[in-house]
Amino acid sequence: MPSNAIPAEDFLNREPELHYLKSLSELKEKALGGNVFLEGARGMGKTELLKQLHRVLFREDHVAPFYYSFKTANLKGTYFAKDYFTRFVRQYISFQKKDSSIADHAAEPLERLMPAISSLGLYWLIDGIEDFQGHVNNNDFYWQLVAAISAPVVAAQKSGKPVIVMLDDFDAAEHLYESSLGDAHGLISLFGESMQNRLCPHVITGSAGALEAIFTDHSLLGMTERMRLGPLPEDLAAALFRTHLANLKITCAPDVRLTFLTLLRGNPLYIRNLAKAASKMQKKELTEKDLVECYGFEVSEGETAFYWSSVFNRYVQNPTKRKAMVKLLMHAIENGEMEDRGRLSRVSGLCEAETAAILDAMEASGFIRDKNAVFQDFVSALYMKEIEGRKPSDVREKIEAKYLSESEESCFELVIPMSSNAELVVAKAVEQIGINMNLDSEFLKYLQLALIEVCINAIEHSGSYEKQVFLKFITRPNKIKIIIENSGRPFSLDSLMELPVEEKLRMGMKRGWGFKLVHSIMDSVKVERVNDRTRVIMTKEIKDKEVHP
Amino acid sequence: MKSVPFSVASRLVGDAAVIYPKGYLNNLSGESLVTECGIYIGKGITKIVVNFSETDLINSIGISLLLQIIEDLKNIQGTICCTNMSKFLRDTFETLGLIQYMVVFPVESDALQYLKAGKA
Repeated sequence: MPSNAIPAEDFLNREPELHYLKSLSELKEKALGGNVFLEGARGMGKTELLKQLHRVLFREDHVAPFYYSFKTANLKGTYFAKDYFTRFVRQYISFQKKDSSIADHAAEPLERLMPAISSLGLYWLIDGIEDFQGHVNNNDFYWQLVAAISAPVVAAQKSGKPVIVMLDDFDAAEHLYESSLGDAHGLISLFGESMQNRLCPHVITGSAGALEAIFTDHSLLGMTERMRLGPLPEDLAAALFRTHLANLKITCAPDVRLTFLTLLRGNPLYIRNLAKAASKMQKKELTEKDLVECYGFEVSEGETAFYWSSVFNRYVQNPTKRKAMVKLLMHAIENGEMEDRGRLSRVSGLCEAETAAILDAMEASGFIRDKNAVFQDFVSALYMKEIEGRKPSDVREKIEAKYLSESEESCFELVIPMSSNAELVVAKAVEQIGINMNLDSEFLKYLQLALIEVCINAIEHSGSYEKQVFLKFITRPNKIKIIIENSGRPFSLDSLMELPVEEKLRMGMKRGWGFKLVHSIMDSVKVERVNDRTRVIMTKEIKDKEVHP
Repeated sequence: MKSVPFSVASRLVGDAAVIYPKGYLNNLSGESLVTECGIYIGKGITKIVVNFSETDLINSIGISLLLQIIEDLKNIQGTICCTNMSKFLRDTFETLGLIQYMVVFPVESDALQYLKAGKA
């Protein structure tokens, strides 16, 4: 590492970030910059940016680069110290001699590098190696760690040449321990002094959720700026995908517009993996349908699935707890968000304390915040496999079917105030949506009535301070789904009294018809409570006779 | 859906009142429909024809107010006839079980004929 960076010409749209990071040591020396926390969704290219930065600095001579990944690091303090120290020495010599193979030969003991170090005149480094070995021989845990972590600083001070320290997945450092997990909290703060050094800017990646806690550590507070790595713009995402395909000797069919790629939200990792999936599935000329097929494979069995599985395993190792996490994530996806923890323990099937621990892990990992479709499809696929016990081919088919029909899906959103006749605005909206779908005008009247009823129920009975009703219409050629949401008093279908009209007349009750009508019109009506909101989900299948030819 | 404000027109044909609700029949408009019918009932009219040809949409509050008229007429042994109902409106009344309390005719003239013949 990090000689396996992708070719610079394939590394798109990150020039400003790369330029800024390259100048970081200069800025830090002038007290104009400090350390950088690289933020961005998983797969957005944070590690790749570090690799590119390493490559650029390696080729030049002004700043020595040091890259360390905590992803695969052994977090037992003594192992970590040795690994960190050794890797630094290797990469430093490698940089000085402009020979990347030195950094790559991890199995070669440091003693073998002594002639090279001497030839470079880096006698202070020989002293440093001997000192470190002394701490190891004395079994001095604390000084091994300090010597390892401060090695880049020592190098910068002795040589006068800045060292940029790149710490990938740095949040894992919070779990450094002495002899058993959790026995030595706060070792991460040992990085504080190194981070403060003017000759050693640090560029850090990691889960924002976990690092939030780290940056509140006193020694690290206020020294780090955030740099957000956003998605690739749509045109560049398509260009990158085509480049990967070309490298894999795959072409696109003439009419392919790659619109499906928008689902990947400009994520370079997903884009690369999808191209590789096309290669694995032996596609030669890619069609839009092939793309969906490759995607189904990718999120259920491909590299993207493997990537996310590895991330899951990092946070929850126990298989039972992992299953519980999948259930919780699926629940969050289906319901839009998480409710109170007490109720979620019923979903997970574990006790409240265990559920709370999983939720904390999910929070720290940022899984809940990751609302991208690819992650959600991975979770759905995993749920189908691990919880429902479906066959991989069934899972792929389900995912494919979702997108093959979704390509004809439209979505409209509307917010109305809780005021007189506001429901007519909704009725008008559904009328136009129906016209767009060529629906029969008489059929539309029923839909309008169902919607009007749900809206007036919300307006009349919710007691909402927000005084708004949120509506979402999702249409497909054969189905319309309407979601109506409002804050305020809970409402449940169980609370409705079903009385025949004679009884109503006898009792002088003339109201309470609304949901009877809604049920008679729609194919399914579901009422949910999500936090302080009531959500009504109604669906209606559209039959041929309800559509104008 | 026509974007017309609700209005109620009426006329007296013999001993029957014909009511023309127009637009969206909801709580506000339903009240004016009840008031209009109430005026005729107050004058001793027991036969009412509601011509729904111009009724665009209805909601459950509007329906409940229609039930009020049915009840008022029931108390004086009166008759309510409904005419020119769309399939949608008829289905809705049927779903709620209201159709048994009204006499339904395709057109207004049929209802008037029926009332004139004294079958009510």
